Amino acid sequence: MLEIDNLVAGYGGVPVLREINAKIAAGEIVGLLGANNAGKTTLINSLSGMVKPISGRILFLGEDISKLTPQARVELGIVQVPEGRLVFPEMSIRENLLLGGINAHARKHRPQQMEKVIGLFPRLGERLTQSAGSLSGGEQQMLAIGRGLMAEAKLLMLDEPSLGLSPLFVQYIFEIIDKLHADGLTILLVEQNLNLTLRHARRCYVLERGQVAAEGDAETVKNDPRTRSAYLGL
Amino acid sequence: MSELYQALAQGLLIGATYGLLALGMGLVYGVSGVVNFSHGDFISLGMFMCLALYSAFAMDPYVSIIITVPLMTAIGALVYIFLIRPMVGHQFLMVVQLTLGLSLVLQNGILMVFGGEPARTPSFVESKLIILGDTVLRLPHIIAFVVSFALAIGLYIMLRATDFGRSIRAVHQNAHAAALMGINVGRVQVLTFALGIGILALAAALLLPGTPIQPNMGLRYTVITLLVVVLGGMTNFVGIMLGGLIIGIAEAFGTIYLDGPIGLLLPYIIFVAIMLFRPKGLTWSSAR
Ligand SMILES: Nc1ncnc2c1ncn2[C@@H]1O[C@H](COP(=O)(O)OP(=O)(O)OP(=O)(O)O)[C@@H](O)[C@H]1O
Ligand SMILES: [Mg+2]
Repeated sequence: MLEIDNLVAGYGGVPVLREINAKIAAGEIVGLLGANNAGKTTLINSLSGMVKPISGRILFLGEDISKLTPQARVELGIVQVPEGRLVFPEMSIRENLLLGGINAHARKHRPQQMEKVIGLFPRLGERLTQSAGSLSGGEQQMLAIGRGLMAEAKLLMLDEPSLGLSPLFVQYIFEIIDKLHADGLTILLVEQNLNLTLRHARRCYVLERGQVAAEGDAETVKNDPRTRSAYLGL
Repeated sequence: MSELYQALAQGLLIGATYGLLALGMGLVYGVSGVVNFSHGDFISLGMFMCLALYSAFAMDPYVSIIITVPLMTAIGALVYIFLIRPMVGHQFLMVVQLTLGLSLVLQNGILMVFGGEPARTPSFVESKLIILGDTVLRLPHIIAFVVSFALAIGLYIMLRATDFGRSIRAVHQNAHAAALMGINVGRVQVLTFALGIGILALAAALLLPGTPIQPNMGLRYTVITLLVVVLGGMTNFVGIMLGGLIIGIAEAFGTIYLDGPIGLLLPYIIFVAIMLFRPKGLTWSSAR
């Protein structure tokens, strides 16, 4: 479904990511691991079109999307749930969800999609008019995921969904992620938390200073010495 | 006593239009971080367009808006795309300088075309009065009040209940997240600026009847608008409308009760006094 081909990207012409190659098949749940500043968010933002590539290509469903705007990519179904959640704090839950489905493709189906999201997160449904800023971190994460689903994602990219959440909420959020995967959604799961990710993702990539240090199925990656070194920065 | 009512009524009526002027500036600030120091000169431009249409076709200013609003909206879009957008994201002061430069260009452009003599644009309602007890109200002021409030309410509903309005608020609250939703942030910024200038074309027609106009009066409107926006809390809708009313009333009291320069300074004195006690402006809650 997604193919990253020799991607080099960074900020102001200075590369952060160096020659990344990676693949995600339809229906797969893939983990993207790495320590602080490894370049995980930069990679996910390159896929979203928020960071422009210096060289290399990104193929989605066989088409080169590396020149497309962020809007065009959202319309194709490449949807990011950003690090730190970034809900719109002064808007209600309902308005946040409506904004999630504002792209030209998803706009027509917002009522049905909203039903589905509320079915998945009844807690959001109970307080549709409450402002997003007044929610707890875990509730904001639910809202951020719900907002992403409103966009009718084909590839849902979650950037550190466990960040700052209590263990109970982390467990809940990962159950939801498993459920979405079971329903057939393709998921890219970005995490620092190694063991958690290895438990939920079938296949993983480990980034180290902007390069892929290790890759393969969860078991392989777990036992790969390069994974340890990427984390310990050796 | 009747003087008091007179000042209050007059101030409230004009203040609503000041609030409307400031809403345009607040919206633009909210989505692009741009403070437009040529705001008032676009009001001049709108007024002089009305004058030109009157001179050429004897068109009433209230009718001229059919032409001036779309025209100025288009001008606003072009100004944003070609002049302001290249500067956004650079130094804030560069944008300020640019809009100050634009102010001089507009002022002198108007001077070149229309000359420096004060001019009037008559309207059929210009001299109509409405008398309530001892208070004499001018019909153009009442029209300005009603239309300004109606527009403010319309804007409010647009911001709350339409996708475009929600996009504007999303860009204001978190532009990065807005882009991730598939909102074209650049487009929202252009359209908001264009909308802000289009509102000025309307406000120009509302303020015009009975007011002598001069090419250099833009600065005064810019300053009034800035006072209102800062009082209201930059992006707080209700705060801005309230700020408009307060500045309008201060101005009316100044001209009715106080002679000479002190009277003209009253809005600024009140502004400074309020800011001393409420440095974040009038608003109680955080900006929406
Ligand atoms: N907007 C930016 N401008 C310039 N450099 C940036 C920017 N964002 C990130 N960087 C740099 O790019 C590198 C990778 O950062 P990135 O945020 O992608 O890492 P990450 O793996 O997501 O880290 P974390 O786990 O802390 O979220 C870092 O060295 C960082 O300083
Ligand atoms: Mg990150």
